[in-house]
Amino acid sequence: MAERRFHSALQHRADRAGAKGLSIALKEMDDRGVIDVRGLPTDAGFLPAVKDVLGFDLPMDPRTSRSRGEISALWLSTDQWLIILPRETAPDFHARLVKSLAGIHSLVVDVSDARAIVRLEGDTVRETMNKGTSADFTDSGMKAGTVRRLLYAQVAALAHVVSTDPDVIDLYVFRSYADHAWSFLLATAREGARVKLFGKQG
Amino acid sequence: MAGKPYRVPKGLARERLIDRLRPLRFSFDGKSMSGFHGDTLASALLANGRRLMGRSFKYHRPRSAVGIGAEEMNALVGVGDGARHEPNLRATQVEIYDGLTAVSQNRWPNLDFDLGGLSNEFSRLFPAGFYYKTFMWPQSLWKGLYEPLIRRAAGLGRAARERDPDTYEHIHVHCDVLVAGGGIAGLAAANAAAASGKRVILADENASFGGSCDLSGETIEGLPPSDWVEERVRALKAAENVHVLNRTTVAGHFHHNHVLMVERVGDHDPGLLAKGAPRQRLWKVRAQTLIMATGAIERPISFANNDRPGIMLATAVRGYIDRYGVAPGEECVIFTNNDNAYLTAIALKSSGVKVRPIVDVRARAESAIIDQARGAGIEIVNGAVVSGVETSRGGASIDAVKISPYRSGKGRIVSETRVACDFLAVSGGFNPAVHLWCHNGGKIRFDDRLYSFVPDRHDAAIRAVGAANGKMDSATCVEEGYAAGQATAKASKTKKSKVHGKAAAGQQSEAPLEPIWFVPATGKYNEGNKHFVDFQNDVTAADLELAQREGYESVELTKRYTTLGMATDQGKTSNVNGLGILAEATGLSIPEIGYTTFRPPYTPITFGTVAGPNRGPLFLPVRQTAIFDWHVEHGADFEPVGLWRRPYCYPKGSEDRASAVRREILTVRNRVGLLDASTLGKIEIKGPDAGEFLDRIYTNMFSTLAIGRARYGLMLNELGFLIDDGVTVRLGEDHFLMHTTSGGADRIAAWLEEWLQTEWMTLKVFVTPVTEQWAQFAVAGPDARKVMQKLDGDMDFSAEAFPFMSMKQGTLASYPVRVYRISFSGELSFEVATPANFGRGLWDAIIEAGREFGLDVYGTEALHILRAEKGFIVIGDETDGTVTPHDVGLSWAVSKKKRDFLGKRSLSQPYLAAHGRKQLVGLYTEDPQEVLPDGAHAVERVEPKPPMRTIGHVTSSYFSPTLNRSIAMALIDNGLKRMGETLEFPLEKGIVKAKVVDPVFFDKEGARQNG
Repeated sequence: MAERRFHSALQHRADRAGAKGLSIALKEMDDRGVIDVRGLPTDAGFLPAVKDVLGFDLPMDPRTSRSRGEISALWLSTDQWLIILPRETAPDFHARLVKSLAGIHSLVVDVSDARAIVRLEGDTVRETMNKGTSADFTDSGMKAGTVRRLLYAQVAALAHVVSTDPDVIDLYVFRSYADHAWSFLLATAREGARVKLFGKQG
Repeated sequence: MAGKPYRVPKGLARERLIDRLRPLRFSFDGKSMSGFHGDTLASALLANGRRLMGRSFKYHRPRSAVGIGAEEMNALVGVGDGARHEPNLRATQVEIYDGLTAVSQNRWPNLDFDLGGLSNEFSRLFPAGFYYKTFMWPQSLWKGLYEPLIRRAAGLGRAARERDPDTYEHIHVHCDVLVAGGGIAGLAAANAAAASGKRVILADENASFGGSCDLSGETIEGLPPSDWVEERVRALKAAENVHVLNRTTVAGHFHHNHVLMVERVGDHDPGLLAKGAPRQRLWKVRAQTLIMATGAIERPISFANNDRPGIMLATAVRGYIDRYGVAPGEECVIFTNNDNAYLTAIALKSSGVKVRPIVDVRARAESAIIDQARGAGIEIVNGAVVSGVETSRGGASIDAVKISPYRSGKGRIVSETRVACDFLAVSGGFNPAVHLWCHNGGKIRFDDRLYSFVPDRHDAAIRAVGAANGKMDSATCVEEGYAAGQATAKASKTKKSKVHGKAAAGQQSEAPLEPIWFVPATGKYNEGNKHFVDFQNDVTAADLELAQREGYESVELTKRYTTLGMATDQGKTSNVNGLGILAEATGLSIPEIGYTTFRPPYTPITFGTVAGPNRGPLFLPVRQTAIFDWHVEHGADFEPVGLWRRPYCYPKGSEDRASAVRREILTVRNRVGLLDASTLGKIEIKGPDAGEFLDRIYTNMFSTLAIGRARYGLMLNELGFLIDDGVTVRLGEDHFLMHTTSGGADRIAAWLEEWLQTEWMTLKVFVTPVTEQWAQFAVAGPDARKVMQKLDGDMDFSAEAFPFMSMKQGTLASYPVRVYRISFSGELSFEVATPANFGRGLWDAIIEAGREFGLDVYGTEALHILRAEKGFIVIGDETDGTVTPHDVGLSWAVSKKKRDFLGKRSLSQPYLAAHGRKQLVGLYTEDPQEVLPDGAHAVERVEPKPPMRTIGHVTSSYFSPTLNRSIAMALIDNGLKRMGETLEFPLEKGIVKAKVVDPVFFDKEGARQNG
């Protein structure tokens, strides 16, 4: 049997592991798997069945997430979540979740390839995000764990504030838009265009 | 005049903004000149004795700087070379740097000798409305002759022709308080708001803060203004909750306190651009509260030839002396109706410039500042006006002014006194800069103390403070600023502000001003004398009066007829003067006249800034499939499909598009082709009610579909019209996968969610779009099965085990796949889907496996012709939002058994159920080589000339390589009854005839796809 070849959404970009002359660090997170889960919290069995496989409760508050170890659950809507986990474990996790939810109204889809994930890390990631979206990333409410769906650089996107000290944000865009989003990030994260908002100014 | 020392000797002026230790060279109209770091182009030109800076818009009159900042209406220049050239910049705001090049505008062949100036000689022929009246007839000459001539003669600078090499960007910011204007009122407001812990942005258009407080002659809280400003700015910059922006113009105010600001990041320093700074940055601010501290603008006075170079606003003259050590001339006359201009007289005197009399409109005026001027030995002439100027050098140089006695409302003046001087400082009072207030519907009211408009009501969270609010003394400005800043803190529970106490600015009482809108000319009848109101648009007092006489009585009509207050200037210096003249002409008061709208932007914004990063490849997102790079590497000729770029065809060698498409089609029909169909919409649908849901969504039945089988479905909207089609597969008992058209992927997913969320809430169904998860390819052609079998897989591809319209999941060449036996080409066809990140690997494996069978790739055009040969419709080609399934021969897919589905009721409405509607037919042109154009109309009867009654149009038309003839599909009135008829299509080149035939042109039985 021939060897499988894997091509991430940004594999063709030589700079996807890190570009020079930027005010923040950018890299593609191609080792993440993504499972889309839909179900009704009002269905008695749904939440426990998910927890059995996930190991923790799904986040129920809008724009939040929960993480344990390498696994995160992102709230997307009142009946939809994204589970982020190591890519190699996604097929097995998907199978176990489908099994656990058998007989419960739900839809679990492995969408590990549907999006590109770009990690932004550094002092001015929030300002860099605000060069492409109107959602307020400098707001104190944007704490670690926050999940926001956005229009970023004309494209549907999702931002996950992974940590605030240091500032780390994972930006999710649909795979076909990855090249565009990456180019936009490179254009607006240039060192020469650095903006630091609401800090001490020289 | 050049060569005279217009930079006053060191030590006589404060020269607050320039650094004599940092000399710079720049050029103006090719002539090299010197200046100092901190100079603006206007100050440096004046220092070089260069007064003439441009020619006026309409009359090409010589013009110089009148103001010192954003209010400048005359000195518009072009800055930068080649691709970096930017026209129409106010020389008063251009900071010079070493090597800056600037040019004057609207002159030919050069600024000093301008042929266009002839229009001034004939200016009696060019009153308001001249163009409207003159070039009406004959209409045919407008486009070819009049318009180009007028456009060449009247105008501003020219834009760069090359691509702009600089970068621009946008940034979105939210804040509690945005303070527009960094004068003392703005600084006080920002300080007070910041002290409460609010997030504050302070923006000022200039390089340094303080507005015009340095020219006020007052102290602020016991400090000299500049020291006070420096201290406040330092405190704001040190604060964690404040963002201070200089060189940033607050350009516009919109709904919900959305404010646009333009930051000139690198304009003043090419070194920054070289280091990668964007030239400008557009700030899109959402402010909880906007504090407008935009200051006030001095207004000129309309007297004869008041536009001559050397006639400047009094504050500007003071500013040039005080900030740059530049005296515009050697002997100055001051013409004023208020106290403020006396400060200019004092400043000039102390800098060694001779001050001829202060000509004061007021018959009596007494105040401390007037006493001070008198004490300094400056002559004051009360109850007098400057009624004209004497000039030489074609108006470019002032020799003397004419001074006449004046009594308001006493009519024409005959007597005059001549006073020699070489420049004139004018003050007609001050207008609060209420532009921002008005952008989003704020009301303003007339203040009869200032004789100007001040902010009144506003529905937005906006407050005006300081001079912008009509408060012209420093103490009140600071006090209002503090109060406004503190008020923003009221609602919050953040830490209490350590408030800066009540303002204690050194205050001076002023004598009231006396309004003056128009000074009658003296001497012989005012032939050749123009009283300018709007300098930038060359609008005179006579134009405004003419507009009244001709019936354009409403101020809005006057504005449009005369162009008063229009364009880039937005009436900064002209608005109130114009209203005053209209008031005098009509006998109405200014409030009765009303006012026109100030529009954003406050000063012009370059297109580069508006575009920001969204240009070139970033102008519009391009969606790429997982195979995109392969397509590029293999010479694909792309076409846009929505935001996707899909290969239209893959030309080889010297092939043109048509030959490539022809080859690709024959490959599919004769051997086997491979298509990247990844853009196809894919939606997973699951739940106990999924079957019922699909039965309602589609016209045909899906609840009866067997697991592992596929069915073609039609989707209608409630009106009964086709909106999408595609194949849906049953993955499990309660689990389906829907395919939509590529363009319909997002729209249909939203359509499904809408029905579930708003109408059919009781249905237990989830839908999840998965378009982007899968790469999907069609392997189509007589040898498709051989290719599939050649690929290492775990599925049986035989006709028996894998019949048409079924699907299997398994592994192919080690990749996880879903394989569907569906066909859009009419050939034996397998569509293979694999997770997108495996797409490229599987694609390469298929090409490798297909090599021995002559497999080759095909693009979207071949796809379209292949389907047209089979008579398959395309949503958007054969349908246009008014087409039913019955119209396109798909009645078989409309269930008669189902109780209901979307559009069912509409299909039975008389109009949609009527016989003789436009119906889909095939067309064979009489000449098989003739291809009808898409959209060609068939007519009932050809007439010698239009109109002709059309009976339908061509929806798809191609040359079919398979049939070696042209084929077309068309929607024709009562088409099904016309089989065999010949239709006529009158085209520009002649009449094309075509026979009506069955739209399935090839393999009517479907033997090939079923094989």
